[in-house]
Amino acid sequence: KDFLEYDPKGQVPEEDIATAENAENLVTTAYAGIANDEMIGPLTHLWVYGSVRSDDAYKGGGGRSDVVVVDHYEQYNLTQADDGDQMIPRTWTNFYKAISRANFALSVIGELSEEEFPLKTTRMAELRFLRGHSHFMLKLLFKKIPYVTEGLSDEEILQISNDVDNEELWNRIAEDFLFAFENLPGTREQSGRADKSAAAAYMAKLRLYQAYEQDENHNVVNINPSRLEEVITYANEVSGSLEPDFANNFLDGHDNGPESIWAAQFSVNDGTEVGRASYVTGLNSPHGTSLYGCCGFHLPSQNMVNAFKTGADGLPLPDHFNASDMIDPEDFTSVDPRLDHTIGVPGRPFKYRNTVNEEGDMIYRTSWARDPGVYGFFGNMKEQQAPDCSCFVKEGPFIGTSKNIDFIRYADVLLFKAEALIQLGRYNEALPIINELRERAAASTARPIEAGASNIYNIEPYPSFSSKEEALKALKFERRLEFAMEGHRFFDLVRWGEAAAVLNAYLNEEKTKRDFLANARFTAGRDEYYPIPQREIDFTGGGLYKQNPGY
Amino acid sequence: QETGVNGTVTSSEDGLPLPGASILVKGTTKGTVSDFDGNYSLPDIPGGAILVFSYVGFVTKEIPVNGKTQINIALDTDSQQLDEVVIVGYTRERKVEMTGAISVVDMAPLEGQSMSSGSTMQALQGRVPGLFVEKSGDPTGASSRILIRGVSTLGDNNPLYVIDGVPTVRPEVFASINPSAIESVQVLKDASASSIYGARAANGVIVVSTKNSTRGEGEKFSISINSNISVLSEKKQRYDMLNAQQRGEALWRASVNDGADPNNAYGEIYDFNWNGDFTSPVLNSVSVQPYVGGNTDVPAGDTDWQKETYETGYVYNNDVSISGGTDKSFMLLNLGYLKNTGILKYTGYERYSARFNGNVKLFKDKVRVGINTQLFTSNETLASPDVGSAPTPGLAITLAPTIPVFTATGEYAGPIGSGYSDRNNPVYMQYINRWDNTERTTLFGNVFAEADIFSNLTFRTSVGIDHNRFHRKDIETTVQNGFITRSVNKLTHDTNDYTSFTFTNTLNYELKLGDHRIGVLLGTEAIRTDFNSIVSSGQGFAIETGDYFTLGAASGNRTTDGTSTGSRLWSQFGKLSYAFADKYLASFTLRRDGSSRFGDDNRYGYFPAATAGWRINREEFLKENNTISDLKIRAGYGEVGNQSIGDVARFGLYEARYGPNQNVYVPDFFNIYYNVGTAYDLNGNNTGNLPSGFVSIQAANSGLKWEETREMNVGLDFGFFQNKIAGSFDYFVRNTEGILIQPPVASVLGEGRQRFLNGASTRTKGWELSLAYSDTYENGLYFAVSTNFGAFKDKITELPEEVRTAYPGTAENSIIGHSQFSIYGYKTDGLFQSREEVEAHATQVGARPGGIKFVDLNEDGIINADDRDFLGTTLPDLEYGIRIDLGYKNFDLSVFGSGVTGRIGIDPYIFWNNFVQGRENAGLGVLNAWTPENTDTDIPSLSLVNNDTQDSDYVYRNNSYFKLRNAQLGYNLPKELIEKWGGMTNLRFYMQGENLFWITPKNFVGADPERTNVNAIPVPTTFSLGINIGF
Repeated sequence: KDFLEYDPKGQVPEEDIATAENAENLVTTAYAGIANDEMIGPLTHLWVYGSVRSDDAYKGGGGRSDVVVVDHYEQYNLTQADDGDQMIPRTWTNFYKAISRANFALSVIGELSEEEFPLKTTRMAELRFLRGHSHFMLKLLFKKIPYVTEGLSDEEILQISNDVDNEELWNRIAEDFLFAFENLPGTREQSGRADKSAAAAYMAKLRLYQAYEQDENHNVVNINPSRLEEVITYANEVSGSLEPDFANNFLDGHDNGPESIWAAQFSVNDGTEVGRASYVTGLNSPHGTSLYGCCGFHLPSQNMVNAFKTGADGLPLPDHFNASDMIDPEDFTSVDPRLDHTIGVPGRPFKYRNTVNEEGDMIYRTSWARDPGVYGFFGNMKEQQAPDCSCFVKEGPFIGTSKNIDFIRYADVLLFKAEALIQLGRYNEALPIINELRERAAASTARPIEAGASNIYNIEPYPSFSSKEEALKALKFERRLEFAMEGHRFFDLVRWGEAAAVLNAYLNEEKTKRDFLANARFTAGRDEYYPIPQREIDFTGGGLYKQNPGY
Repeated sequence: QETGVNGTVTSSEDGLPLPGASILVKGTTKGTVSDFDGNYSLPDIPGGAILVFSYVGFVTKEIPVNGKTQINIALDTDSQQLDEVVIVGYTRERKVEMTGAISVVDMAPLEGQSMSSGSTMQALQGRVPGLFVEKSGDPTGASSRILIRGVSTLGDNNPLYVIDGVPTVRPEVFASINPSAIESVQVLKDASASSIYGARAANGVIVVSTKNSTRGEGEKFSISINSNISVLSEKKQRYDMLNAQQRGEALWRASVNDGADPNNAYGEIYDFNWNGDFTSPVLNSVSVQPYVGGNTDVPAGDTDWQKETYETGYVYNNDVSISGGTDKSFMLLNLGYLKNTGILKYTGYERYSARFNGNVKLFKDKVRVGINTQLFTSNETLASPDVGSAPTPGLAITLAPTIPVFTATGEYAGPIGSGYSDRNNPVYMQYINRWDNTERTTLFGNVFAEADIFSNLTFRTSVGIDHNRFHRKDIETTVQNGFITRSVNKLTHDTNDYTSFTFTNTLNYELKLGDHRIGVLLGTEAIRTDFNSIVSSGQGFAIETGDYFTLGAASGNRTTDGTSTGSRLWSQFGKLSYAFADKYLASFTLRRDGSSRFGDDNRYGYFPAATAGWRINREEFLKENNTISDLKIRAGYGEVGNQSIGDVARFGLYEARYGPNQNVYVPDFFNIYYNVGTAYDLNGNNTGNLPSGFVSIQAANSGLKWEETREMNVGLDFGFFQNKIAGSFDYFVRNTEGILIQPPVASVLGEGRQRFLNGASTRTKGWELSLAYSDTYENGLYFAVSTNFGAFKDKITELPEEVRTAYPGTAENSIIGHSQFSIYGYKTDGLFQSREEVEAHATQVGARPGGIKFVDLNEDGIINADDRDFLGTTLPDLEYGIRIDLGYKNFDLSVFGSGVTGRIGIDPYIFWNNFVQGRENAGLGVLNAWTPENTDTDIPSLSLVNNDTQDSDYVYRNNSYFKLRNAQLGYNLPKELIEKWGGMTNLRFYMQGENLFWITPKNFVGADPERTNVNAIPVPTTFSLGINIGF
């Protein structure tokens, strides 16, 4: 009898884990879950879904067929529910993995008493925050998603449909953030944890999205003023401040700074296999220089570059920026300084540096571009670090860094609030907020200039807004410049209900400059959201999940 | 002086005459055949002639005439043939009395073929009905797939090997045994035959006995030497790829079809001179740019990468055996050395093997003790991955031809500039991985003792061991290859120990009462298996030489990982066999297995079997029949189990995952960068030791139980005309229930929620036929044809919803009633011929003139996942083999081929031949792609991004084939001559060719139909010269 007893080695059953001693570990596990992403199934940096699929950026890489599914997203009309395993199907899976980690920890901690586990309420609040985060991200991508809470058996989870009323789904996700808001401490005991500010910021973000009410075909049919009021309320509860220099948000050494309200934490030389580094943008390194690695993905569109153009008054040109292209150095005469924080421009210093090994080797050059005939010469910069950074690891062809990825910056919170104020007609109150960002941008020129950038910067605050419409236009453009290529743009456009109009206009012009967009077209009522991955529909029996319209 | 001889030929066993026996004057074609009463007469022969008396099933005798006029002769029955005794499940059985579906492998023809590959397993390919072997091109000689009677389960389909009574699931143990040391190989195909092995017999059992028996012929030793040299080439298996110029044409066409000027995307590689008109494009000329990436050190090439990456390989295989003994003892010593230099550059395999078998008889032969040991150690260097983990065999197909092998300065060239894939020069990758190797050292064997307690009662005890030590060294040097660099070097040592002990005790009782023969077997068996692994790696080596790469020399990050697992089996079994008058045969077996893999409720499984047989030719009414020389009807029913799941599959488990990425669990390029751990930098330190937790890795199923297979088999063995025509036929029905499977689950369940289940049921029906004709004609010509056929059809009969996701199909269109190897996908209807046709068709993403037209099966006006259906199955309807042997005087010739028919599959070449992959080279087919001017083609209009390569009947095609696998010509030097050379008894030279040619269906586009994995080394064509020497 004893001969046949063989217990697992190095692995234990659930009952050995579900203890007060392990409760903290399970919370750590849940935190790790929201940052367990991969190049082909992103969670933290939504460059594929928010940036490439917008007017900000192209896929890049080695031609259209390189990670072809992203080309399909970029063309909009080639997107399919059943299109391999990469990207959308994996992102769906990875978010539900993160949710299951939070839910398991919640069910274990829920059974413990305060005596056994004094931090019970705080940790449950953190876990609900994490769960809310994942559901929220899924909702941005798919609109209708199965919402999973703790304590459900596998059989019960397999009964949960995604066909939920939109408003109800927002509210259910909001419940988690509300619980977090009410129970989280005002200050972080450890910088990687969520705090009250993070919960408030998420509430503001969620209510802002929720305020723009959509019908079944994704048309924005109403903007709910009481939701907008909530946006202002929660934004005011966020304690944070802007970094003095815009660059700090994208530089090693400034993780968890005053502007970082909620971020995924990464690390290197930590004893893990290849470092618990961020590889989500691993495909996106400049390709043509040995200082970096593979593969030249995620490149700014000509439209994006042009958007940094400023007029003689130091203000952006929302109506005319795309009338002429900034390509050669002499075209860049009056720009928003955020250009040199966002985009690799030939002849200008990359990542605030002039030299790593040889004089001027960090001056971005056309040879850094991988496939200029298809995708142009510009490069992405925000997600890169200097090659000699201690945060930088090169593993195989790819580069990871320990640089955190901010989910919500304080600048975002400010603009949530400004957007709500404008939509409520209180645009004069939004003016100083938008200008605060512009003034910070104006003060962020020292690093590039020191690295050898010519001073072509010309940026001024808005003197005033004459109307709600003008303010709204300014806000939308400010959001685009401030968060350029950070993966928010597409979701902003869908929230505002103008994805089809903006993107088809963009495509009509851009295809004359980039012929790979010749057949691209955005279809309203379909392309605002991704299809539910076909395998998830198949795996749940075919009738449980409702596919999004048009797929 | 001429004389005449007559006489009678009888059987020494019963004294009865042997009609039809052959009497030949040696060295001539003169001869005769005995009549109905065994009488013969041979007039006018030389007085000094030697007569050769032969009869099927009897030992051939040579008698010098010496002036005699009458020679009566009694031939002895040949135990090798009629009374051949083989081991089938803890007992010996006479071959003629076997009642299960058991194939006894004819070892003789295998020697040459196994010598060239170093694997007896590969030599079995196509020779045994119902045994399906797929080769690999690895220099190790490892087979890629071995199936007995198709497949009954979705999981591990490897058969169980029982070698000298010691079970193992490691095919390399069998592969490493030199054929000259093998006594017999039996393939137990049906459950009634294999049921005695119970829990692990579901995939069939291959029983191997090595030579270890005293012949009782006095003191006698023999020496045999086998030596073989083979030349290997993969030229016939290559894919036809575009040259530099042709690729430019294809890229132009594909770009223009996509609405893009190819000068934008590929202008650095080619100069396209075209009219710029997308509606009626004309390519005036295309020329290759002179330098790769504009680098004057790298002149553009026109490289045939397959030619550069492969070279002629050589196999040297030698083995020596010394065997023999006295009436009281026996010993066998076999030593082998195999070296394969590999056809892929910088690969190779080397193996030393040794076998020692011995036994002695003690206490008036009542006690016998002995040992069987196989020791081998091997060292292999195989295909390597590039910096981005793509294996070199694939790169040799896909890398752009414009990249040269070397730069002008003599460095290995790589991709530079735009338009190239981020893949490396495969020759360079093989070169920098030349220090990588895998060493395996195995000790396999047993010690045994037998004692006759009474004259009919024998006790046997055996302790067996299967031990393997595995050590893989992987050195990743730094790389500068075009624009691809690797700046940190790394060394990984992956080591593990596998040990399995088998302790077997049996009691055998045999009783003869008049015409009744009764055999009883009782036994127990305990198996204990443990596996431990350690994987260590270090980074940062200052010097890049093979000698410097040791873990201690690493100056950078180090990691260590390791696992432990094991299993236990405890079994009791018994067998009762009964024979009446050697005519009526019956047996009953029962095995009870306890497995540590199952919980208390389902720990034990019972596996019964029963068989019956009737040797009709022993009946009186057939005794006088000259036509029917052997006829036996067999029937059997048996149950076997399968427990091929993880050792701890039934538990719901959590583990601490501090460091690993997903690549540790599922090796895959992108998984290296996919963190699946539980560690997290909560403190925001960016480095150092991290807090970490636990994560679910699998869900529990405490009710997990054996997968059960019930099989009914009826068979017929027959021989006609003194067994000149012989064969057997088997028909079986097999029901497998509760197939063990770990189905994928909807992601909504979260992380680590997959679990093993007892799921679907399948029914497989099939038949096997082996049919052979052999004869020696009066002119001395020996001629034999043997064929074998195996046919299977499986279908899923029951499918619980919880395992449906493991199979193709959907809830609405389920796989029930279809083969479990069905392909589910889209049906196609040729190519769209015009814009109008596209408009008229159902909405299809990416539809275009010249594109593949998918069928709107549900007629809802949109092509989507609901239009998929079952397209066919990848398991063939029929497998067959044919072998022809010719012998004349001292020459022998054999030709052997086999094939499959009635299946579909993907030939990977179709992805290059019928579609353009923008960064990879394409096959010749794309030059004939659809254009408005070239519509009579099935190659779609070229596109870089819009390639409809999803599962469909366009990519899954009939891939039946027939292959000429082996042809061998041998010559035996005359005995009279070699006897003078130190008493040599045998000296044979042979030459052989393998994998010579094949026939495929018309729309099959690839090279070798067995080349299904482009990232594996193809199975080469081989030519060998060999020599067998015996003393």
